Amino acid sequence: MGISTVPILGAYSIGSTKNILKVLDDRRVDSKRLLDIDQFDVMNERLPSSTGNEQTRIRIGLIGNGWRGESLLNSFGYFHPDYVNKMKTDGQYDRWLPYQKRHENLYVDITGICDTFDVHAERGIEVARNNIREERNTPEILSGIKRYKTYQDMIHSKDIDAVIVATPDHSHAQITIDAVKAGKHVYLEKPMCHSIEEAIELKKAVNASNIVFQIGHENRQQMSYKLGRELYRKGVLGDVSMIQTFTNRNSLFGAWIREREFDHLGNHQTIDWKGFLCNAPWHEFDSKRYFNWQRYNDYSTGMIGNDFSHTYDCVNQVFEIGIPESVMAIGGHFFYNVGIDDLPDVFNAIFYYPDRALTMTYDGTLKSGIYRQTKVLGSEATMEIDRAIMLYKDPNSQRYKDVAEDPEEPFYYYAPNARVGVDGITSATATSYFKSGYGPTFIDGKVIDATFLHLKEWIDAIRGQGKVSCGIDQGFEETVTFCLANLAYLHKKPIFWDKQNEQYFIG
Amino acid sequence: METKYSSRQIITLTVLRVVIGWHFLYEGMFKYIGGVWSSRSFLLNSTGPLAPLFKMWAQSDKAIHYIDVLNIWGLILIGLCLFLGLFERPAKLLGIILLSLYYFAYPPFSSAAAEFYADGNYWIVDRNLIEIASLLVLASFPTSYRTGLDRFMTNYPVRGFFNNITGGRLKNKLIPKK
Repeated sequence: MGISTVPILGAYSIGSTKNILKVLDDRRVDSKRLLDIDQFDVMNERLPSSTGNEQTRIRIGLIGNGWRGESLLNSFGYFHPDYVNKMKTDGQYDRWLPYQKRHENLYVDITGICDTFDVHAERGIEVARNNIREERNTPEILSGIKRYKTYQDMIHSKDIDAVIVATPDHSHAQITIDAVKAGKHVYLEKPMCHSIEEAIELKKAVNASNIVFQIGHENRQQMSYKLGRELYRKGVLGDVSMIQTFTNRNSLFGAWIREREFDHLGNHQTIDWKGFLCNAPWHEFDSKRYFNWQRYNDYSTGMIGNDFSHTYDCVNQVFEIGIPESVMAIGGHFFYNVGIDDLPDVFNAIFYYPDRALTMTYDGTLKSGIYRQTKVLGSEATMEIDRAIMLYKDPNSQRYKDVAEDPEEPFYYYAPNARVGVDGITSATATSYFKSGYGPTFIDGKVIDATFLHLKEWIDAIRGQGKVSCGIDQGFEETVTFCLANLAYLHKKPIFWDKQNEQYFIG
Repeated sequence: METKYSSRQIITLTVLRVVIGWHFLYEGMFKYIGGVWSSRSFLLNSTGPLAPLFKMWAQSDKAIHYIDVLNIWGLILIGLCLFLGLFERPAKLLGIILLSLYYFAYPPFSSAAAEFYADGNYWIVDRNLIEIASLLVLASFPTSYRTGLDRFMTNYPVRGFFNNITGGRLKNKLIPKK
């Protein structure tokens, strides 16, 4: 009697193991057979090998140490001591430091900081003095870190090899053109320029030089977009007739109405107002304009230049759609600072691509935070893509005629996750992880900061290894495309692009 | 207290013990053989009064590692014990604790949030609670001393040890064969 269940357990152990292996096997082989492709290529990519050593150190200057400027320094491994202390008091230090050290030493030194606001400039120096990936915090090295009062001083300095430009949009072109002419390599934050005219000038300058130029669209390193591109090229989507892009925010911060830690210290004495204005129209000192510059046409292009430009480059990375033949747009300034500044908070645009037999739309709002990822409508499958990919079978699909019909559930799901094998396939319950945002990516079995990879690509290219993935041509396509939409919104008319002569016409 | 079961009772109670053991063991083996399973997203999305604690665990790599190992081996060992009727009493107790953690990760008190991992409609009572209740029934009507390996362990020293940690002496003595 006492051993009555033992034989059942014997049979069970054989049967259950067999069943588990079968279920796991079914799940594993599914994706390739399901998608009708021979193999996955980009998912097997390795991390590019190191190009740096003591002899090839690169000295970098940062122009513009605002929110984005400092986070670029972070991606190089430089952190403000306050940030490090916060990690310690929050109990995250033990997890955070190994993650940081996992990123390769690029052999770069931040040797210069330039900002028009004294407080930001000084903070930048403190960040540049705290390299956490390398033992470089010696008095000799630290004494080489300088503050430059103007960007002109920095780009003409013999102590700087390359610059990062993370200033307000209206000054991107001028600073970059001057830097390129001074022979400095440039990593320029997105959006590339503030107008089409500037983009044309910048393109000329970069093409006439030998410098390495990269635009800060770090989505170029994001595995989901690389995979999306591969799947599209392998015919997984069929004919793509429509691409829908969205951006959603619903907060004052999201609408670029921001009060930050040090803003109250901004005044005539601490801000170089003329330096900030650069080539923008003259205006009396106004700290709102300085700290919330994204809300003014003089310095920014609002949602279309700040939000859509990101999404556009993701789409351009996957589909190489380039510049549309024409654009229509409409929008309104209904909710924030109405009558005070210039920024629309609702924006719709339609981009017309007759050569590619498709249209692209953009719907953006600053008054709804609902989550919507880019949706690509193909004749075989619809793809939703951001840091994850979801594929839904088309009801009339031939390619997937044997796949079960389920309009609610994706039949293929890619969600990169450190705990998942090379294949990177998990169940839909992992949705909450890698949804949205532009943070880390999953490559070579590791979670790596995508911005780090993008900076590394630029650094490697400066050393003659490989090419940048978001250079002047991609930047030009980005700026012209969103500027056409902005012009359509401002003129309330369709805008046409003449590809041959690189000119636009108001319809 | 002496318990005497009819044959029918002993068979049905043993079947109940074995099917619960089956469920635990299969779940544990699947996670072990599958190799890539982690409790992180389950804990990260948890709701209810214990959610802050579960979410805190989910944030820590070290905690998640231990939770995963404990969960997988907990499921396997509890499953085996119930299946074989070995150390039945502590197995049932640990099973109830484990199931209670699952239950409180997604307590079916407010419908929407708790449905995240559920494939049906539940209010207060869900499958975890039914399994907990079943284990409580088994705790009141033990069978391993008849249809399990515990039958051979009456005087085994380890039994005394488990009696101590599970609160009191085993009341059900081996019934002499009629």
